Amino acid sequence: MGPAVEPVVATRMIQTDTDKAKELLDPEFMARLERLEIVSRKIFMGKMRGERRSKRRGESVEFADYRNYVVGDDLRFLDWNIYARLDRLFLKLFLEEEDLHVTVLIDTSKSMDWGSPNKLLYAKRIAAALAYIGLSNYDRVSLYTYANGIERELAGVRGKRLMSKVVQFLTGVEGDGVSNLGAACKQYAVRHPQPGVLLVLSDFLEKGGFEQGLRYLLGRNLDLYVVQILSQEELAPQLAGDLQLQDVEDDDVAEVTVSQALLNRYRQTLKAYCESLKEFCTRRGVAYLFTSTEVGFDQLVLSYLRQRGLLR
Amino acid sequence: MSFLSSWSVIAIAAGLTVPPLVALYFLKLKRRVEPIPSTLLWKRAVQDLHVNAPFQKLRRNLLMLLQLLVLLLAAFALGKPILQAPRTHKGIVILMIDHSASMNVTEANGKTRLQIAKEQAKRVVDNLQGGTRAMMSEGDTRAMVVSFSDKATIVSSFDTDRAALKAKIDSIEPTQSRSTLSEAMALAEAHASNLVIAGEPVAPNVSASGSVLLFTDGRIEDAETLVSQRFRAQSIEIVNVAQRADNVGILAMEARRHYERPEQLEVFAEVRNFGPEPVELDATLIIEGRPADVQTVRLEAGLVTAPPQQAPKDEPTDDPAQAATAERDQDGSVRGSVKASVQERFGAPPPGSVAAVAFDDIIYEGGGVIEVRLQVDDALSADNRAWTVVQPPRSTDVLLVTDGNLFLERVLPTLPVRLTRMSPQEYESADDAEMLEATRSKYDVVIFDRHSTDRLPPGNYFFWGGVPDIEGVSAGEAIADEVIVNWDETHPVLRHVAVENIQVFQWSRLTLPSEVVHLMDGETSPVLAYLARDGRQYLICAFGLLVADEETQQPLLNTFWVTQTHFPMFVYNSVQYLSASLATRGLRNIHPGEPVMIPIADRASKIRVRRPDGSTDVVQTLGSDTVPYARTRTVGIYRSEPGIDGQDRFAVNLFSSSESNVAANDNFTIGADVIAGSGGIDTVNKPIWPYLLLAVLVIVLLEWVIYNKRVFV
Repeated sequence: MGPAVEPVVATRMIQTDTDKAKELLDPEFMARLERLEIVSRKIFMGKMRGERRSKRRGESVEFADYRNYVVGDDLRFLDWNIYARLDRLFLKLFLEEEDLHVTVLIDTSKSMDWGSPNKLLYAKRIAAALAYIGLSNYDRVSLYTYANGIERELAGVRGKRLMSKVVQFLTGVEGDGVSNLGAACKQYAVRHPQPGVLLVLSDFLEKGGFEQGLRYLLGRNLDLYVVQILSQEELAPQLAGDLQLQDVEDDDVAEVTVSQALLNRYRQTLKAYCESLKEFCTRRGVAYLFTSTEVGFDQLVLSYLRQRGLLR
Repeated sequence: MSFLSSWSVIAIAAGLTVPPLVALYFLKLKRRVEPIPSTLLWKRAVQDLHVNAPFQKLRRNLLMLLQLLVLLLAAFALGKPILQAPRTHKGIVILMIDHSASMNVTEANGKTRLQIAKEQAKRVVDNLQGGTRAMMSEGDTRAMVVSFSDKATIVSSFDTDRAALKAKIDSIEPTQSRSTLSEAMALAEAHASNLVIAGEPVAPNVSASGSVLLFTDGRIEDAETLVSQRFRAQSIEIVNVAQRADNVGILAMEARRHYERPEQLEVFAEVRNFGPEPVELDATLIIEGRPADVQTVRLEAGLVTAPPQQAPKDEPTDDPAQAATAERDQDGSVRGSVKASVQERFGAPPPGSVAAVAFDDIIYEGGGVIEVRLQVDDALSADNRAWTVVQPPRSTDVLLVTDGNLFLERVLPTLPVRLTRMSPQEYESADDAEMLEATRSKYDVVIFDRHSTDRLPPGNYFFWGGVPDIEGVSAGEAIADEVIVNWDETHPVLRHVAVENIQVFQWSRLTLPSEVVHLMDGETSPVLAYLARDGRQYLICAFGLLVADEETQQPLLNTFWVTQTHFPMFVYNSVQYLSASLATRGLRNIHPGEPVMIPIADRASKIRVRRPDGSTDVVQTLGSDTVPYARTRTVGIYRSEPGIDGQDRFAVNLFSSSESNVAANDNFTIGADVIAGSGGIDTVNKPIWPYLLLAVLVIVLLEWVIYNKRVFV
């Protein structure tokens, strides 16, 4: 295990930030997060030694396995005791501890800045919590925001003391622009070939479709988590009368006369849309999690994400 | 449905209200702008909703359509719409249905006139007042059905059961006979006056409590001469079912052999166009089923409907029926149209609409059926064919029984006959073997010159100045100084005979039975008559060519006719007529429905009559020489088996200008009363605007419900 950072220190760091920071994470909740760590369902090779067992056989103290010696192997790892007993050369393999890339992709299009509680704030809180968990475990944490492409990024943060940078980054994020998951994922996939855990936080209300964007990510060897966040206003709209519905992102207009039949049909359409996203993810081994902003975000992190196996 | 108000009221009401309503709907609804995160799901939901909703485009404007419907219904209600329902009849109703030949005309809707008449009659039955009770009571409506053509049949006597009446009406079969009404009217009157209900005779005042409905096309031969005893003209309704007028028909046909060359056949047919358009058609001569000749005939329009105004009002009328009608009615227009109708019926056809088709120089030595067929697609098919039967040419065996008659002895050898001469004494004493062949006379025609006899085996006899010694025929005292005042110049015997030039010094007063055909009549006594009885035919002439001088007993010339050119013609006609027609009376022209006497060969106990439609009737002869047969309602050739050679076939032809003239007769007269025919049954008006307003109310309620649900709009 790597050097432990006292929770008190981290708390102190966050306290130095503005009140906006408290909006994201309160100290008490952070303390609870410290006991968690991010689990990857896949074992990846990292760049640096970390507090995580790697798939790569390496030089840690933890024994992993034996294998037959072949010419060119490092003679230092020969198990001489076995050679003495069996007169055959075996090589001792050790587990290598490495760090884990944890990336969070946050949808900051204008549609995310909606609802009460606000979807974007909800997403930012999840990002902050995961970042804190990652930083606490010496994982390499990257944060990206996207709308019509990657907008802002905070890449490769490591170590709990950099939590302040994360908070600063997240408090500076505001909802604007038209969402284009496809473009954003393409950009990310091109620029960041390294494996790791990737979380996409979005409402996935993509007019261009979500499938293409997720396919870009699937091409990379990522442990992918998709969290769909919808507000209560979207799940159960309180609309009535003859309306001209205006899309806040692209000013697209839909003229509707809201009736019970239309509301029923909307709910069915929404359900079918979410189901299609879920099915798309499930078929491709992507973890899908649906949440409403009504669900407490601490509950989501402490309970739902643990159930899904992202946290331990 | 029709409207009491004019269409303009409806148009104005609709015009004032409908456009504003539509305009209101075309004005764009102002919608409240509501920002939402994404329209993605909303658009899909709206789209899904529309796709899944049936009649979505219609439903989008359902409210507008309902409101339009309300406005239109209200506008129609303003037009005071009425529904014409058939008038209900009550009391005594007599339905007379014409099923004559002209009722077989197929009208434009594909139904024959008889079918239309039956449907109309059934509608009347449906609308009879009162229920269908088994027991008749005083107040019930009773209907009687009579069908008529040349004969009348009571199809159903008075009944209240509508189903039974309708079934009876359905059972009326078409015929190809002429139509006469007097018998049907007499039957109906008799039944109406003898109607007894619950033991009490009903007052026979039909006109007060009931009506007579006549379903016909108006072509009734005896309508003018009909006198109704009990039914007033006002109580008679004519339901005229005729519409089509195009028809061409054969009105007469004859086939005869050439005088000098008997193998040569001459066939004549009179063809008339009754339709409103000129026609050109082919007339085909068919001998024993094989076409022999075709001639093209062009006929001008035969139906000239003179407008009533054009009929001269002051023209003196010759026709008594016309005069009576015209006097009775003071209205000029009605008088004019009646006149046109009468002219059409009795007057000459328009020029060019009648043509005589003559097929000359047809060489045919056999005996058989000659048919003339018109290749035309017209209203009535029964008159497009005519048949006659010709005998093979043969020299006629003529026996002249005379004591000496220079003129007959000179004339007869000039005819194509084999002449045998006998004196009266020789005739009376001759053996049967010499005179008979089987049971019939060996000679085709026996001419008696001033000799009366009772030796008359079945055969044909021409008596000059004598009479057959049979029941009902006798000769009385001599009549002198009389002239021949009346004669039937249409009879074949008198063809080409100038009777007006015949002067006779004296003749005997003849007493003849009622069934004789008078050919020539003097002032007080018949001069020439034809009698057919028991397989024998007689031509009886009241005078002889010679008379014995009272003092010297020398033969004197009784008439100068013998010196005239038409005398040999008359003798020839007589011999031909007697020998050709033999015992079948009027073989040349039997009208449908007329009875015919069929001679029987070898006293067969029964004969079979093969009808034109292929069916066969078996007739019991009861041992007589001839048997009457009356099932002749279909035109065509009838054949009897076993038959006497040459007499086993006879033809039935329509030959009726009143039946062939299929055009609607709008001015129907019964006796002297004109009865305007209607195209259908009388109707009564029922207002329907209250129902429209009720519908408006229902639709308004429906619209309110839909507006509040706001489901589809």
